[in-house]
Amino acid sequence: MSEIALKELLYKMADDQLILGHRNSEWTGMGPLLEEDIAFSSMAQDKVGQSLALYTLLLQLGEHEPDTVAFTRDAQQFHNCILVELPNGEYDFSLIRHFLFDTAEALRFQMLANSSYEPLAQLARKIRGELRYHTLHANIWINQLGSATEESTGRLQRSLEFALPYALGAFEESAYETELISSGIFIGEKMLKDQWVTQIETILQTTNLRIPDWKLIQPVFGGRAGHHSIHLSLLLEEMSEVFRIDPGAEW
Amino acid sequence: MGAPSFEITQDKLRYSFGLINRMTIPPALNSLDPRVHRLPITGEPGPLVPLAPLDQFGTFEVFVQPKDGKPFQHEGIVHAPNLKMAYVLAKETFTRRFTCISMYVVETRNVMVSPMSEGDMNAYDLIDEESVSYNVGEKTRYEIYHLMKRGKQQVHVGSVEASHPQEAFVEAKQMLNSEKAVHNIWAIRTRDIQFTSPEEKDLWLTLPEKKFRDAMEYRGGEKLKQFLEDRKRHPRYE
Repeated sequence: MSEIALKELLYKMADDQLILGHRNSEWTGMGPLLEEDIAFSSMAQDKVGQSLALYTLLLQLGEHEPDTVAFTRDAQQFHNCILVELPNGEYDFSLIRHFLFDTAEALRFQMLANSSYEPLAQLARKIRGELRYHTLHANIWINQLGSATEESTGRLQRSLEFALPYALGAFEESAYETELISSGIFIGEKMLKDQWVTQIETILQTTNLRIPDWKLIQPVFGGRAGHHSIHLSLLLEEMSEVFRIDPGAEW
Repeated sequence: MGAPSFEITQDKLRYSFGLINRMTIPPALNSLDPRVHRLPITGEPGPLVPLAPLDQFGTFEVFVQPKDGKPFQHEGIVHAPNLKMAYVLAKETFTRRFTCISMYVVETRNVMVSPMSEGDMNAYDLIDEESVSYNVGEKTRYEIYHLMKRGKQQVHVGSVEASHPQEAFVEAKQMLNSEKAVHNIWAIRTRDIQFTSPEEKDLWLTLPEKKFRDAMEYRGGEKLKQFLEDRKRHPRYE
């Protein structure tokens, strides 16, 4: 088993969770309903917790402490997909991103529950309940607003069309793809993407939202290789502010 | 004539946003303060209309099962547009801190409530059994809840079969009445409840590890005290 292939997989997953966790936490105190504010904040906290679990696996493989990894790297050292770093915008975009990303994330961990790398398989089995809630939450909101009023469907439709190229960018293949597949660590991005497409189509069929022709959507790649939008450096600057002022701060 | 002060506001607006085109200024200020929109328009002729319902969600009652072998208890209320969304919103509102293994929700208006008792009186004795008709239609299951102490929660005590809610209370009096006085009884038709399915039980799998959500756990008070004492000793922050 190649350690570098495994580390690359863990880093991109951990970075996805951390960055989206941070983005979604920006809604805390500003959610559209009190109950939804609590739910969305809670799920953001789950994501940061999941990133910590993944960074801890990396620590066991000889990488730096989770706090160091999270707070001291530059944007180009992050392997998250561009989808998760985009600014929140309006709630319709945040919901669509939550739906597109969390569907992929839940499928990814479902696949990893059978990974040959046992610590990752254990983590996948442990957090299955959190992921079940995240997808349940996303599906019910999309179902509700995706078939409610002209405004709600119109907004979601525009956000969907905007987000899809970035969502497809999350399945950017790694240089170690064949190695990960042959060693039984992970089934591969291609397989994940196919299952994701089916799942997204199934949920959206229950709404008035329409998926454009998949063949015409140009995926936005680059994030996995450290090529990011300007939004990531701005996010990192804010996220690591306290750490940079006082690395030993406790709260 | 118009209101001169309003014209000044528009000018200020135009100035502060650097707007040149007069058409971009709305004819009336579109305030972000919701109270402005609630003010009735006065002095204008208009049609006769029905009173509009308030634009707000209905309420749903949330019940939580703290652990295996323990009954469900009433935990609180959420606002939601429907039963499914109520379930999703209730999950984090009421089960994000204390460990639990299951939860369900029901629309508030589907909860039938007995009279409230006083002192040692039992709420079951306050139900007018004379007026209840029996076996008038198909029987269905009702869940029964007791409030044993004022200020506490309604706790699930069992279920009965009845053809309507009033009959459910009478059935419950025979089957589930307690020796101690019950202050208040609730009955909910089982099929009105949005339950947690067996496969959804893993929703709370990692909850025992989320102690960081407890105020007790992060010892906010202690840390504040420590900070204030440090500051007294090293007054450099003053």
